[in-house]
Amino acid sequence: MSLSRSQKRGLVGASLLAFVLIMVGTIATYFGSKYQLRIVYGSYVSLMVVLALQVFMGNARITNLSHSAFMGIGAYAAAICVTPIAMKKISLPNAPWGLNAFALDPVTSGIIAIVITAVIALLVGLFIVRLSGIGATIVSLAVLVIVHSLFLYRTDIFKGNQAFFGIPQVFTLTSAIIIAVIMVYIVRGFKESRWGIALRASADDEISAAAMGVNVHRLRLLAWVLSGVLLGVAGIAYSYYLGTISARPFYFNHVFLTLAMLILGGMRTVTGAVLGTFLISFGLEWVRWLETGPTVLGLKFPEVLGLSGVVLGSVIVLIMALRPGGIMGDREIEDFILKK
Amino acid sequence: MEFVAQQTMNALSFGAEYALLALGLAIVFSIMGLVNFAHGEIIAVGGYTMVAMAALSLNNPFIVIGAAILVASIGSVALERVAFRPVRYADPTTGLLTAFGVSIVLQNLFLLLVSPRPIAVTSLYFLEWPISFAGLRISSLQLFETLTTIIVIVVMMLFLKKTVLGLAMRAAAMDFEMVRLTGIRANRVFAAAFLISGLLAGIACVFIMARRGSVDPHLGFDPVLMAFVACVVGGFGSLPGAVIGGFLLGAIEVTMLVLLPQSLGGMTDAFVFGSIALLLIWRPDGILTPPREKGDKQ
Repeated sequence: MSLSRSQKRGLVGASLLAFVLIMVGTIATYFGSKYQLRIVYGSYVSLMVVLALQVFMGNARITNLSHSAFMGIGAYAAAICVTPIAMKKISLPNAPWGLNAFALDPVTSGIIAIVITAVIALLVGLFIVRLSGIGATIVSLAVLVIVHSLFLYRTDIFKGNQAFFGIPQVFTLTSAIIIAVIMVYIVRGFKESRWGIALRASADDEISAAAMGVNVHRLRLLAWVLSGVLLGVAGIAYSYYLGTISARPFYFNHVFLTLAMLILGGMRTVTGAVLGTFLISFGLEWVRWLETGPTVLGLKFPEVLGLSGVVLGSVIVLIMALRPGGIMGDREIEDFILKK
Repeated sequence: MEFVAQQTMNALSFGAEYALLALGLAIVFSIMGLVNFAHGEIIAVGGYTMVAMAALSLNNPFIVIGAAILVASIGSVALERVAFRPVRYADPTTGLLTAFGVSIVLQNLFLLLVSPRPIAVTSLYFLEWPISFAGLRISSLQLFETLTTIIVIVVMMLFLKKTVLGLAMRAAAMDFEMVRLTGIRANRVFAAAFLISGLLAGIACVFIMARRGSVDPHLGFDPVLMAFVACVVGGFGSLPGAVIGGFLLGAIEVTMLVLLPQSLGGMTDAFVFGSIALLLIWRPDGILTPPREKGDKQ
């Protein structure tokens, strides 16, 4: 199998990004405090979500708002499978269908969770891909609301807004780094594959692409399901590290946060996804510190709750007004070192 | 019989609220292709104006209502000037995301500058009393809401059909370039669209506040979410579609509330959104979308 020129460049770009991810992760592992490790882990999970989002939004150029729901599905599916029986007898005493009478090892649970997420993504995707533009976005919003109300309603399975606890904490930062690196290769690989190119062409001009023989709906479905699978993996990574999940993190706040990350970096490129995630994760952490009213050089700053939200929203507004393509626009990381 | 009449009234008043908000969204979308998610924050602006009025001990209900509607309208025009002008000719997705950003900023500003907790507003309780009519008992608020919405729709129709600015706005929805070529100022058309949109949000705000009796930073989020859905169902950008979508949504919601058994009470949202999703799959562009082939001038 020979690679085309853009695919070779993609390989270089993905490797550069992988290098950055490994470096950041390694530095955090060796020098970070326990609290900082949690933040870095959180940003790697966000990165997985943003990469998954980029697969669909970046290539099909349809704004998706349901991604947090799929992350939640992955997280809950894995959590229900992997939590030990003794634990589930306490936390889910009324679970139907014998859900609290079995427990599997983390790997099998993960695979089951991915399959469940993929099947649900496929079923939803069959409907979403037929729509375009705002219609598709609103249906994805409906999916988010529906999944969230299911999480809240079936407290016997998901515990709603209460904590679902007792998930074995089998992941470390190293596992998150490895997964994120693999995802970077998958996402960039998809972008440069013939499907990715055809899908991006159809986003530019749907009619011409269809006239050239591109099956737009099928390609969108492919990107949608791939995105769903990656979101499921992100959900698993989230629950396997924290050990406790609840429905609240998989709703609007998370949707906007991850969307802002992708927009800031630039949704058309993988480099943009990585850059945006790191800028917002670490930037927001700094703003949150300001929010608590710290004392700097003898100056006491006031406590300003809500500042992080104002900053996040302003970032979105400013980027949309000044650089709608995000910081990276159409440039990938390798464009800075390789000749055109 | 009484039950049916009562539920019909419920559906009408829910629908009226959604229709008012959906109209505000649709008029902006039809002209500039912007899905204005910050519409809900305009409602909250109206609510906070009422709080400010109470703090200034201005308790005359007409002043309170007038001020809320006025400030909401001004707020809406100000948003256009500050936030939406740079993305005026951008694609709908850029506009949508900008509006999300504006909405997040405003919500957090309320939280930061006012209070994260709900603040009670008691000046509108007088709107609510039970009315007995032909053996039926209905709430005055629901009646007011339905009637106001009908009046607003009629006035708006007259404005759009009989005035030059209204004509310009209808024309702008079809071909904005052409409108500008005839010498009508683009800025004026946009400002008018946002003014009307803010006015409608202000009116809706009065009824929402009268029903809830308190304002918090997330006041507008749920109503606008529903108004959006109403717009989409009716066909985004179509004004009659927004009205029909609003009332249809009200009907669906009340039907779900009545038909779903008690044990499924928490699932109303899921069923409402589920039926909307199905409707969209049947008619992807909504019920009343203007006929348009792919590749037509937008």
